Amino acid sequence: MKQFYFSLSLLIVVLFSSCNTENPTIEISSEDYHHAVDKLTQIMVHDIFSPPVASRIYTYSNIAAYETLNQESSNYHSLSDQLNNLSVINPTKTNDKVNLKLASLIAYLDVAKDLVFSKEAITTYRDSLYQHWNTLNPDELEAAQTYGTTISQQVTTWMQKDQYAETRTMPNYNIYSDDPSRWQPTPPSYTTGIEPHWSKIRPFVLDSAAQFKPQRHPEFSLEKDSPFYKEVMEVYTVNREMSQKGDESPEVLIAKFWDCNPFVSVNKGHFMFAVKKITPGAHWVGICKIACRQTKTDFEKTVYAYTKISLGIADAFISCWDEKYRSNLVRPETLINAYIDKSWAPVLQTPPFPEYTSGHSVVSGASSEILTSIFGEDFYFEDLTEVQYGLPIRPFNSFRAAAQEAALSRLYGGIHYRSAIDIGLDQGIKVGTLVNTKVKFLK
Amino acid sequence: MRKLIFALSTLALLSACTEQQPTKVSPHILQNLSPLDTGVDFANMVSEDAEHSIINYIYYYNGGGVASGDVNNDGLPDLYFVSNTGENKLYLNLGDLKFKDVSKTAQISGNSSWNTGVTMVDINNDGLLDIYVCAVSGLLDFEGHNELFINNGDGTFTENAKAYGLDFKGYSTQAYFFDYDKDDDLDVYIVNHAVHTTLSHGKAELRHERKPLVGDVLLNNNNGVFEDVSETAKIFGGENGYGLSASIADFNNDGWDDIYVCNDFHEDDYYYLNNQDGTFSEELGKAFSTISRFSMGSDVADINGDGYQDLITLDMLPNDERTLKETEGDDVMFNIQAHLKKLGYKDQYARNMLQLNHQGQYFQETALFNKVAATDWSWSPLFADFNNDGHQDLFITNGIFRRPNSLDFKKYVSNAFRGRSEHEALAWLYNSIGEMPSGKVTNEIYQGNSKQFERQTGQWIEDTPSLSNGSIYVDLDGDGDLELITNNFGAAASIYKNNTDTSKNYIALDFKYKGANQEGIGLKATIYSNNKSQLKQLFRSRGFSSSVNNQLHFGLNEATTIDSLVIVWPNQKVQTIKNPKINQTLTVNYSEQSRTYHPESPSDLASTFKKASFIDFTHQEDHYNDFSEEKLIPYRISTLGPALAKADIDNNGYEDIFIGNSSGKKAQLFLNNGHHFTPLHMKAIENDSLFEDNDAEFFDADNDGDLDLYIASGIQEEQLEEFQVDRLYINDNGQFKRSQSQIPLNPLVTTVVSAYDFDSDNDMDLFIGNHSDAHDFGQAVSSYILVNDGTGHFTKQPNFEVESKVTSARWEDINGDQLKDLLVATEWDAPKIFLNQSGTLTPTIVPQQLNGLWQTVSTYDIDKDGDQDILLGNWGLNTKFNLNFDGPLQLYHSDFDQNGKNETLLAYNKGGYYYPLNTKDELASQMNVINRIYTKHKSYAGKTIEEALTKTTINSAKKFEVHQLASGYIRNDHGQFNTFIPFDDALQLAPITIFLNVNVKNESQLMVAGNSTKLNSYHGAYTALKGLLLKNENDYKLISDYGMAPIHTQVKQLETLKMKDENLILILSNDDNLLLYTYK
Repeated sequence: MKQFYFSLSLLIVVLFSSCNTENPTIEISSEDYHHAVDKLTQIMVHDIFSPPVASRIYTYSNIAAYETLNQESSNYHSLSDQLNNLSVINPTKTNDKVNLKLASLIAYLDVAKDLVFSKEAITTYRDSLYQHWNTLNPDELEAAQTYGTTISQQVTTWMQKDQYAETRTMPNYNIYSDDPSRWQPTPPSYTTGIEPHWSKIRPFVLDSAAQFKPQRHPEFSLEKDSPFYKEVMEVYTVNREMSQKGDESPEVLIAKFWDCNPFVSVNKGHFMFAVKKITPGAHWVGICKIACRQTKTDFEKTVYAYTKISLGIADAFISCWDEKYRSNLVRPETLINAYIDKSWAPVLQTPPFPEYTSGHSVVSGASSEILTSIFGEDFYFEDLTEVQYGLPIRPFNSFRAAAQEAALSRLYGGIHYRSAIDIGLDQGIKVGTLVNTKVKFLK
Repeated sequence: MRKLIFALSTLALLSACTEQQPTKVSPHILQNLSPLDTGVDFANMVSEDAEHSIINYIYYYNGGGVASGDVNNDGLPDLYFVSNTGENKLYLNLGDLKFKDVSKTAQISGNSSWNTGVTMVDINNDGLLDIYVCAVSGLLDFEGHNELFINNGDGTFTENAKAYGLDFKGYSTQAYFFDYDKDDDLDVYIVNHAVHTTLSHGKAELRHERKPLVGDVLLNNNNGVFEDVSETAKIFGGENGYGLSASIADFNNDGWDDIYVCNDFHEDDYYYLNNQDGTFSEELGKAFSTISRFSMGSDVADINGDGYQDLITLDMLPNDERTLKETEGDDVMFNIQAHLKKLGYKDQYARNMLQLNHQGQYFQETALFNKVAATDWSWSPLFADFNNDGHQDLFITNGIFRRPNSLDFKKYVSNAFRGRSEHEALAWLYNSIGEMPSGKVTNEIYQGNSKQFERQTGQWIEDTPSLSNGSIYVDLDGDGDLELITNNFGAAASIYKNNTDTSKNYIALDFKYKGANQEGIGLKATIYSNNKSQLKQLFRSRGFSSSVNNQLHFGLNEATTIDSLVIVWPNQKVQTIKNPKINQTLTVNYSEQSRTYHPESPSDLASTFKKASFIDFTHQEDHYNDFSEEKLIPYRISTLGPALAKADIDNNGYEDIFIGNSSGKKAQLFLNNGHHFTPLHMKAIENDSLFEDNDAEFFDADNDGDLDLYIASGIQEEQLEEFQVDRLYINDNGQFKRSQSQIPLNPLVTTVVSAYDFDSDNDMDLFIGNHSDAHDFGQAVSSYILVNDGTGHFTKQPNFEVESKVTSARWEDINGDQLKDLLVATEWDAPKIFLNQSGTLTPTIVPQQLNGLWQTVSTYDIDKDGDQDILLGNWGLNTKFNLNFDGPLQLYHSDFDQNGKNETLLAYNKGGYYYPLNTKDELASQMNVINRIYTKHKSYAGKTIEEALTKTTINSAKKFEVHQLASGYIRNDHGQFNTFIPFDDALQLAPITIFLNVNVKNESQLMVAGNSTKLNSYHGAYTALKGLLLKNENDYKLISDYGMAPIHTQVKQLETLKMKDENLILILSNDDNLLLYTYK
């Protein structure tokens, strides 16, 4: 099919050039944008980016595309002066007839390539597109490249001052402690806590990482009657009931569906490897795609939707990570193994960072608010985001319903206490609402 | 469908050999013979399929064993080979290194699905050797049990394990026959291995819960029937026991046989001492301070001729630079190690361990010193005298068919392994198994001289990569030297003919004992010849899954006589044979003897020092973690305490002591009244408990006649800068008060303060030594002299500066002009000597190429020529730096990734090239850019430091070097200091951190201590320096010989104190209890 399309377009090129007529316009559709986003997701899975880092990669790439598209749009506002430290973008258009959709896609890939490890995977993808476009209309491509990279470079310059580089070499989480409430690395690979300094990353919309600092979790206690201990026991008993019901129980299915752990370690004797999946952020980016396709959004709205949701996800992670390394709360697996049942293992592998609040809950809360603002309430969709990772399709009646379930999945997964879920979801809703109200996208 | 994956290579091998070539003269002493010449065509061909591979069974590539013994009593040792999945084979020795395959008629091919180890033993004492073969059964679809092939004496064997109670069913690796209860029959210890389950990674205590199939067993021989006595004998048998081998020996020479068990993965090895009452006590923790992590094969022998048997355990540390960086090693173990410690496991390191037995009391680990630590994926070690020179040599088999710990494979699997069910995933994994890189590695051989091993691979045997597992030595051709035989994985077995020339003499001993142990298993033979002795103990099972024949072989070098041969039979009866004839096989028959063996009683020396408990103090290190702050630094700089200072504070004629503490813990002052010590609470100092006290000095700062205190501060747990500066406490009528303004602010990591009136103006001045900036390890920092204005106000002496990493310093008069000179120890720099010329400190020249990792400096007349020599404690020659030291060690300091923060990078010299010490993932953890430059480990592995980070980057970095790792002294030649002399080997076994001059029974001696536990996971811990007392450079003993306990900790301070009726020695370590001994 693709082959056919390709040779057809080649034929057209030959036809046109031989007739010496004007080159055709390069058509860029929403699908092209979806495809580029998918490509980036795949590369991020390959490179194993942690959830917070992945959210940053999506966001800057999308903003570059959005800004390229919307400097003089009649429908959308530029984000200049709307996001932290993003001053006015200088659109130096060389010619009025720049194909903005094309330039927007180019800007997207240009920013993305600087953010991943496997840079050549992006450039190979980009060059194959360039080659194709070049055969269609080299002049149009060149103009779009010039314009797109002008914008992407400005986005990159802005991006480089977000403290990401500085946080790379900041200290690791110190695993030495005698405090039983303090988070410690978990089985099987005992990875050091990831991104302990993520709260130092410049947020996009939040005034600070602590803007929506959640209430403190129930006070750590191993007293049987304490609220905290009851939450520990809830994780334990819920999981034990689930294992009695078996792998096909609704709770197990929910837990697995929303796992979204990019790096699940598997131990086989002397070798240990990872089963890789997408991150919670990528899952919601995937739902955004489903919503776009279902409503057949045009290119501009597609870019808008992706940009808005990735902004929300990125700030959700900053907000959440701020609390995680403030409270440094121990995971259920550590406590249950130490005090309740030494052979207990959660349904999902415990991810390598402190417990409170639940990242997936915060991200889902923010994402669902933003998607609701774009696509409306009671939006029925069938979530097939993780089909390629071996998971089934799940239907939802609204984004908020999906978020509720995603949050609860952490309890079923045995990796979070109830408070981290409930309060985390609320924290996320606040982030999403802030993005919805503070940033003006639509004119 | 099962595929025979190795068939091709063997066929090629065999066909290549069919073209009959004239036997070439081998360039090697041990010449690999062709299977066609010997007739031994056995090959351990292992088939794999989706349900049977390393994916389903972690020990799929462990290979099989080999055994030797004379099964047909024709005087020639025969050979038996184990095939994991195929048929085991028996070859009769026809003489002249020709063999005949009699497997078919003998009926010994085995019935179990998966065979492992083999040992020959005359189980029924009929004078005919039987064969015991171990099996893995009950795992996957493996069936069968351990099998006992009873020798019928007519060339046939009958499997009859059940009748003897030896039909053990489980995951067996090897059986070890010995007589643990001295009832003159053979009992057996069977090593079984665990497999990974959720529980096998649980607490260390799991070893107490006996688990069928998996747990090791001890079977007692009860009139020919073996009964499981594991529980009553107190043998561990837990789900976490990944046993791969054992070594039996009388380690403590009490006459009863003990057991060392090698466990793979996180489980500690076990060291069982025989309680002589049918039970054992596991005492690994007391006797061993460092053990291998993935312990595989092991062997014991007295390698240094001290009459105690030493031990080697093998692991999997690669030597090849490329392999090292392509596979997962200890670098990833940091967190896991911390976790395992919490679960109750001992720290373990993935490298071979050579454990020298000190008089049966404890072991000193010396594999790095001997450069036998890194032989890659290693299976079977064998100590024997291969060149008949009277010293034990060492042979090690190596190779793993596929490397499951390849980092790129891990990544490859991770990238493709998704969206599959467990079953699909395993099938997919199996299909990808070919992506695992091959791990063929050459077998290694080392020549011993009773002091150190020297690699002879390439000279003694071919340097050819192979996959060899079980191995034995035996004199197959009766010419007086030992052949080597290896069972190879997927290839024909190897027989190495020993071509040692006959100018070297030998003696071989056969034995005839009594009762149900006719072979005399467990007896000890010592030969005395040429003023030395050689001890060997007779056990069959050695190395890995294999068993040697029941003969003891001794090389004699050029000695033409043996003074005497002393046999201690299993029943402790001693038999002496004077002047036995050499160059023969002598059969020694047991005869009832009168003398009974008695263990040596401790000497009088052992009562020189007596443990005392005058002061109760424990130093407890805080939780600061240097390696999370700066990820590439080689060792911590936050565990340099505790501080110690002594002085007579209360003017009662007895010196009191101050002990500084770690951040968060209170320092303490103990007043001495000549009889006991009383704590004195000093509010100002106790209030400053947040500081980390690295060093302290009492001196009169303000010339008011009492003693004030300067404390050198280190890194505070929370890095609060106001708690990282040095402090001066002024003694105000017995109350110490912190002065805020009399000394300059010193925020650096201070290691030493030392007071002396160097300018002779009647006030005390100070030398302040700094090691580094708390946040920037690699940078050299300034150390200085503080000049006293006479009122206790100090300013930096402007004309004096040391820009270095100072670890220690002392004022000592080294040129006899009655003025003390300044000696400074530094790291990544040469030691500094400043001669005091009437108040001017002038640097004097030290010997060339003396940059070291100097830990301490002192003076002592170590060569007994009447003047003081300068003693220097370095890292020693038993650390991982010693492995790759073909040129100076390098440290680079620069902002490599240009992110505004400096990094510290180490590079070592291997074969003339400099390689980064760190793995790709470690580098990337500090320099994000590395992951973009190198997406694969393969592309990073083998890169020199210049290739890895570009020449320009490296050249623009500040470079520091280490030329010398040995500890030693600068000899005082009439006031000239031109020659550095390394200490003896015994003082090179770990870093030396402190020297102390001490008078014992009116004789001047030097006490030496050290060790290092401040290291990253590349190093592990170096704790083999158990403490020594020296009279001079050639006359020394370990402190344990004088009654002090061997030291396993990182010693910071040694000090003496005078009491009224006795003297006291203090040993103060980081993160440990203060130890005290009294002496006269």
